[in-house]
Amino acid sequence: MGSLAETIMIMGLYSEMRRRNVFKVAMLYVIAAWLLLRVTDYLLPRLGFPHWADEFVVVLVLLGFPLALFFAYIYEITPAGVKKTVDVDQTQSIVYKTGQKLNAALAVLLVLVIASLAVSRLFPTFPFDEEEPPPHVAKPGVPPEIRGRRLENGLKIVVWPDHDIPNVVMYNFVRAGGRNEYPGITGLSHFFEHMMFNGTSTREPGEFDRIMEAAGGANNAYTTSDVTVYQNWFPSSALELVFNLEADRLQNLTTDPEVFESERGVVYSERRTAVDDNNLRRLHEQVQATAYVAHPYQFPVIGWPSDIEGWTQQDVMAFYRTYYAPNNLTMVFTGDVTADEVFELAETYFEPIPAQQPPDAVRTLEPEQQGQRRLIVETDAQTPMLHMAFHAGAARDPETLPMRLLLEILVGGDSSRLHQLLVEREALAVSVNGFQDEGFDPGLVYFYLTLPPNADVEQVETRLFETLAAVATDGVTLAEVAKARNIVLADFWRDLATIDGKASALGRFEVFYGGYERLFALPEQVERLTADDLQAVAAAVFRRNNMTVGVLRAPRVAAAPETP
Amino acid sequence: MRRLSVAVSILLLSCTLFDTAASAGRVTLPAYERVALDNGTVLILNRHAEVPLIGIRAVLKGGAVADPAGMNGMAGLYAALIGKGAGDRDAASFAEAIGGVGGMLTAGAGLESIDIEADFLARDADLAVELLSDMLMRPLLDETEFDKLRERSINLIRTAKDTNLNGLMPDYGAAFLFGAHPYGNPTNGSEETLGNISHEALLAYYEAQIGGDRLIVSVSGDFEIDAMRERLTAAFGGWRPALEPLPEVAAVEPESGRRVLLVDKPGATQTYFWIANVGVAVDYPSRAGLEIANTVYGGRFTSMLNTALRIESGLTYGARSVLLRPSRPGSVAISSYTRTDATVEAIDMALGVLSRLHEKGIGESMIESAQNYILGQFPTRLETAAQLAGQLAVLEAHGLDDSYVNAYAEAVTAADRASVEAVIAEVYPLPDDLVFVLLGDADAIRDSIAKYGPLTEAAITEPRFRIPSSAQQDSGNR
Repeated sequence: MGSLAETIMIMGLYSEMRRRNVFKVAMLYVIAAWLLLRVTDYLLPRLGFPHWADEFVVVLVLLGFPLALFFAYIYEITPAGVKKTVDVDQTQSIVYKTGQKLNAALAVLLVLVIASLAVSRLFPTFPFDEEEPPPHVAKPGVPPEIRGRRLENGLKIVVWPDHDIPNVVMYNFVRAGGRNEYPGITGLSHFFEHMMFNGTSTREPGEFDRIMEAAGGANNAYTTSDVTVYQNWFPSSALELVFNLEADRLQNLTTDPEVFESERGVVYSERRTAVDDNNLRRLHEQVQATAYVAHPYQFPVIGWPSDIEGWTQQDVMAFYRTYYAPNNLTMVFTGDVTADEVFELAETYFEPIPAQQPPDAVRTLEPEQQGQRRLIVETDAQTPMLHMAFHAGAARDPETLPMRLLLEILVGGDSSRLHQLLVEREALAVSVNGFQDEGFDPGLVYFYLTLPPNADVEQVETRLFETLAAVATDGVTLAEVAKARNIVLADFWRDLATIDGKASALGRFEVFYGGYERLFALPEQVERLTADDLQAVAAAVFRRNNMTVGVLRAPRVAAAPETP
Repeated sequence: MRRLSVAVSILLLSCTLFDTAASAGRVTLPAYERVALDNGTVLILNRHAEVPLIGIRAVLKGGAVADPAGMNGMAGLYAALIGKGAGDRDAASFAEAIGGVGGMLTAGAGLESIDIEADFLARDADLAVELLSDMLMRPLLDETEFDKLRERSINLIRTAKDTNLNGLMPDYGAAFLFGAHPYGNPTNGSEETLGNISHEALLAYYEAQIGGDRLIVSVSGDFEIDAMRERLTAAFGGWRPALEPLPEVAAVEPESGRRVLLVDKPGATQTYFWIANVGVAVDYPSRAGLEIANTVYGGRFTSMLNTALRIESGLTYGARSVLLRPSRPGSVAISSYTRTDATVEAIDMALGVLSRLHEKGIGESMIESAQNYILGQFPTRLETAAQLAGQLAVLEAHGLDDSYVNAYAEAVTAADRASVEAVIAEVYPLPDDLVFVLLGDADAIRDSIAKYGPLTEAAITEPRFRIPSSAQQDSGNR
């Protein structure tokens, strides 16, 4: 024992660690860990392990490193098995032989590393992974500068600093939209959105906009069936002012009776332009109302005309008290800010706003559709229209992403199946488009077609449904899956090219998809989807009994439009 | 490997966008390279690697002003047809080549140019250049595709007349204001003029009006400058010039007096109106003062027009003042809409705002507010690779230098009340000198709008935008 202490004194800790092969073990560990991570990174997703399995392996590997060094130092391999180094007679020690074995192991691992790098260089993807090569584009992780925080009162704030331009974008997502309405107050969420700009107990109607614009800022807002979203775009010099303005209207909103009536006229004008004088939106409104028998997604977000005429100030203030509470909001800031300054301002301006009892949940779920529904809108029209809607999932359902890819295959651009068939090859349609609702509750997958004058609408409908049904029975090709993935991936990057796109994307993922972090998992999720996944979702959705068909055309008696 | 690429992408996302003196709106253009090829094609290259995308804006000078007589829509039809097969690819494979990699490649006609925008993942830059050069230099211009496209273009106009009434106003407006002048050409033609275009005429147009001397290719994004310059030079350096010169566009003077076009859309719930005269050109020297004046008068939410017609009276969802400044004086227009029975009330109110602009001008505090607004919003217009590529191409196309962008903030800051009032007097028409275009339910409004001036009337189903004025003898310049 005494001689060991002397040895340490003489050789120093460094030499002793070297003698005990601690450094070799460390190198061996690092290289082996790298290889292991490469293997798990490839295999785990393909074996169906969840996303966090990769991260779990990383954590294990990191934790294991100090342990490995500790054991290398404390223990020693002897012909009689593993013993504590202090218990080994140093004259009998075989650490030198063990070191040679470690050298050999290191050499083997290094060869493996070189081979692995060579393979990935020569074959960007493993040769047997032949479905299609993954894109040569950096896959994003969650950028570490993004930070999220929930205030004491439940308000969630997400900040993504980006100092490319001296501007800031702020989005405020309010969980209130058409689905929170009922007959009599349809359109109220959207009307309320307008009233949020029309005065508080501390500011005159219109002052919000005048102050913001004078400080270099612009704003807007939109309402959907699920949410109301307020948007501010401003120079970073106006950051505190925007907090001040937003905090004021979240606490002190008032409704002046004259302003209320004037704004009713504004929204009615918006309805006339967007719906009543627009055949596309007229038909969409009717199809939406027909596709649902129970769920409030049946209401037009702009509101039915009689409700626009009927809203009262009491309706508006009740709506304000119910939904405009901090615990019902998600705010996103992107651009020329730091997370710390945003959080500090939020504590000052927003944290004092008390949390409220959460609004009643929307309980109604649309029951299974029991058979096809059809409707006709007759109106002046030079070009008839055909809309076809199917009930599908909510934003967070696992079917949403495969359906998004499927829609790219069906209607995404000029190379899509439906465009090629109906517009290019058979000239049955002037245009064909589609989308899916991605909301809190199950929504619709929606196709809308504009047809040439004198079109045979029935024939078009047949061809459209046949094409959709063919996906359910025969699936899609690998090339189509690859194309859809590429489109989604490119769109992902396009979204992140502006601070506005970043704010919008972060907010949507935070509100609808269970966390802003999931935005960055999208490219990888997309890569994991297969043709089978897409076929399965087609089979589940594209059924006749699950379908609502709407046709808009001129009355039968009307003369056909002349052709030049 | 994901963990490695995480680091790479974080690096990319936090990369500085461009070398700007970007404070309080003082954005300047980034360093870029301009190369003039021997055949007249100009290349503009700017590396901008925030996201792994590449944006290309190709501009062919010409556009709707160069449409052959009676064949409005030729430039638009050509722009659409070059995407229907080029090089070794037929229409379907050309579309597949774009969509297959998640790219976007669109071409369309404007008044004075044909613009092609390409937006691809950076890894597909070679393909983007290949497709672009194929569609410009080796388009198939196939007759069957031409026939389909022409029919479809005509139907898209019919659809617009069923769905987007406000969107039709610029075409009806320009055609009525400028008449037979090229600035009256509807950029995508009309049902009638598209019908006049034959495949043969399009082939002749391609030879006469399209070529390398008309081309600007501006590229911005994540790529290596040297390699891209070589690739573009090889791709476009040998393209032939257009056989015929660009048509000269004469300047039109503002007209005096009033005249009215009423486009009848039976059953329309609103009247859409566009009230205008001839304004100024792209090289208008007091541009900063004009932007300030227009911001206050009709260019933002709290503008005088929107305050009167929307905020204070609830007559409309929106009212604004729109300036078009092509190479020669374009239009300056009030644009709005209101429910049918409020037509006269809203138009009178808009004319009252125009009078007030002339009589009372704009106060100091409003000028300062507009200066802040313009400077505060300006940086967002040059944020992305695609925006930069577009801006650089536009400067080149109009022969403007960098000071158009770089000196803008300073000019906005320097403008004062006197200079803004001088601009108002020079640019905005007086209420007595206006061309009115109204689209709505004619039977319901015909009598009440007669007071605005001599009336010309047409049905929305008439297959044309250019409606000959029945009152041309009354107008000042015709």
